[in-house]
Amino acid sequence: MNLCSNCGVELEENLKQCPLCGKNPGDPVSRVAGTVSYPSDIIHLHKKETRKHIWELTGIIAFSGIAVCTIVDLVIGKGIKWSLFADISIISAWLFLTCILLKFRKPWMLITGLSATVLFMLLMFDLISVKATWFIQIGLPVTLALVFFVCLSVILYQYARFKGFNILAIIFLSVAGFCIITEIIIDRYILGRADVRWSLIAAVSILPIALVLLFAHYRMKKGNKLDSFFHV
Amino acid sequence: MEGKGINKRSFQERGWLKLDNCAKLFPAITSSELTSVFRVTAYLKEPVKYSAIRDAVEITSERFPYFSVSLGSGLFWHFLEFNNRPPRILVEENIPCTAFAIKRNNEPLFRVLVKSNRISVEFIHILTDGYGAFEYFKSLLYTYLTISGNHIRTSEGIILPETPFSEEEIEDGYNKFFQKLPPPDKLAKAWHIPFRLNKKPRLKVIRAEMDVNELLEVARSHKVTITEYIVSVYLFSLQKIYLSEKEKGRKQKGNVLRTEVPVNLRNKLPSRTMRNFSLFILPEVDMRLGTYTFEEMVRMIHLFIQAESDIKQIARFLSSNVSHEKQLILRIMPLFIKRMAISAVYKGLGSKRFTGIITNLGSVKVPVEMQELIESFEIIPPPPNLKVKVSCAMVSFKDKLRLCFCNITQSNELERHILKHLSDSGIHIKILNNN
Repeated sequence: MNLCSNCGVELEENLKQCPLCGKNPGDPVSRVAGTVSYPSDIIHLHKKETRKHIWELTGIIAFSGIAVCTIVDLVIGKGIKWSLFADISIISAWLFLTCILLKFRKPWMLITGLSATVLFMLLMFDLISVKATWFIQIGLPVTLALVFFVCLSVILYQYARFKGFNILAIIFLSVAGFCIITEIIIDRYILGRADVRWSLIAAVSILPIALVLLFAHYRMKKGNKLDSFFHV
Repeated sequence: MEGKGINKRSFQERGWLKLDNCAKLFPAITSSELTSVFRVTAYLKEPVKYSAIRDAVEITSERFPYFSVSLGSGLFWHFLEFNNRPPRILVEENIPCTAFAIKRNNEPLFRVLVKSNRISVEFIHILTDGYGAFEYFKSLLYTYLTISGNHIRTSEGIILPETPFSEEEIEDGYNKFFQKLPPPDKLAKAWHIPFRLNKKPRLKVIRAEMDVNELLEVARSHKVTITEYIVSVYLFSLQKIYLSEKEKGRKQKGNVLRTEVPVNLRNKLPSRTMRNFSLFILPEVDMRLGTYTFEEMVRMIHLFIQAESDIKQIARFLSSNVSHEKQLILRIMPLFIKRMAISAVYKGLGSKRFTGIITNLGSVKVPVEMQELIESFEIIPPPPNLKVKVSCAMVSFKDKLRLCFCNITQSNELERHILKHLSDSGIHIKILNNN
């Protein structure tokens, strides 16, 4: 009897592969990647397809928008001027959406994709700006600082055993740190020296909130989940 | 099945079907956990032959074209769209009754699952109820066993693939028998078992087998039917849990223990529809009135079920359900709002009405030659909602009855109480392996 070791069904003698799981009848029991043999695979496939459809639709809308802006600029303004800004904004928005739709389950790939998109957008704006160049002095360092704090938050999130108020505290502290770094970068560009003022006030205001959240998490309600706290 | 025959082509040309009254609820409440999917299984004496089941599914699907549909979305209502696709044949998964991707284009609403010597069919309740599922399943098994080389001389109780299907098989029984009647009395909120939920995937299944004759003998000693007896045991077990929770000093929300017991309306009203056509009766005991002995419980449940199974009472519930969908304001409400409203009403009221669900599909009748090739039948009820937490279904075949519990909690105290009570009554219980 030609029995599939994985599904336990009897196959015709001439069948070298089980049509249900795709395995050779004599192979040891395991699931085979790439075959849709289980109901839960179909649900997963369905979600993937839906995301792909949304991505295709937004792609059509984005590139139609680019075409409309460029043509209007060409016809009315007799050249490509303002439409460049609109085009870069639309492309960046679409790239953002692409990263979120296609890589939303892979945080590190998502962060890399989003950071690259932001850097691309800022560099493009810088290149088409007539008056000054600011990408190297402001755009790049602020973006890198933002990426640093986001990565730090993600790492702490992944390492946290109980995810609750501690995650909110981490986000608040990251925002405080990002504010300080941003002010330093802007000051050095405008004044030529670092003069930390507003960011320090923001950080000092945020700090007690973060401390209260950490206290609530580790001392009072250890392990309290955000979704149970904020559920509607 | 007799009746005015129509061919598949004329059905195909129609293109779509309205959802029946019961099915209208499910698209709004269905989720990856509350899947509204149930499974019927046959355990054969031989391993399943792939080529035979593949051919049998194709042939049977031709006879039941109204099941080859997918869910479509209109402006105001969902509908069933003919897709001319036989169901998928898949390998059975460890977790039963997983969701269907109902929003996906051309996604069939039922699937055939095979593993070793088991053939199962999983239906989403949008399509049909237990009766319709078993009619399809028996026809599929008949075709499969015939293709596998078995000679089945009689076909009593089986819808043969070569017979034409009738218009009556696709009628909406609820609307057909609707008449305007005063609504039933409002129900007090039911008590719910307090056990902690499992982590996802929550669903665990406990299956037990017992001798029908032993069960029948015990039920007869109380002068009740098997359903009435099992419902009484179920409520008595719930009472034990309720009382033990109260003893622990925990404040209980709701004091009424109420089970939902589906009733096949085809036994009450002249319909041969293969779509949903069942309603519920809701036997209950009010714990504010005191504690019940088992004898009191059995007597009360017997009288309750007898009274509530009366056709006039059932017509009243049917009228109440159908009159909602007939309201003009609801009909012209856009689908997305309607879905939100239905979902909100279900979460707010529907799921709080009863403590548990227990369904009895009765005895499966197949020709003698088929009986010799089939070991047993089984039904796994749809996963319960987060309030009810445990659902139960039973079906009997030859001299065995199978009881399946779907449980999403960390405790199996309810199943333990029920099976212990049955065992103490002299019924031999066998707990079955889930593999």
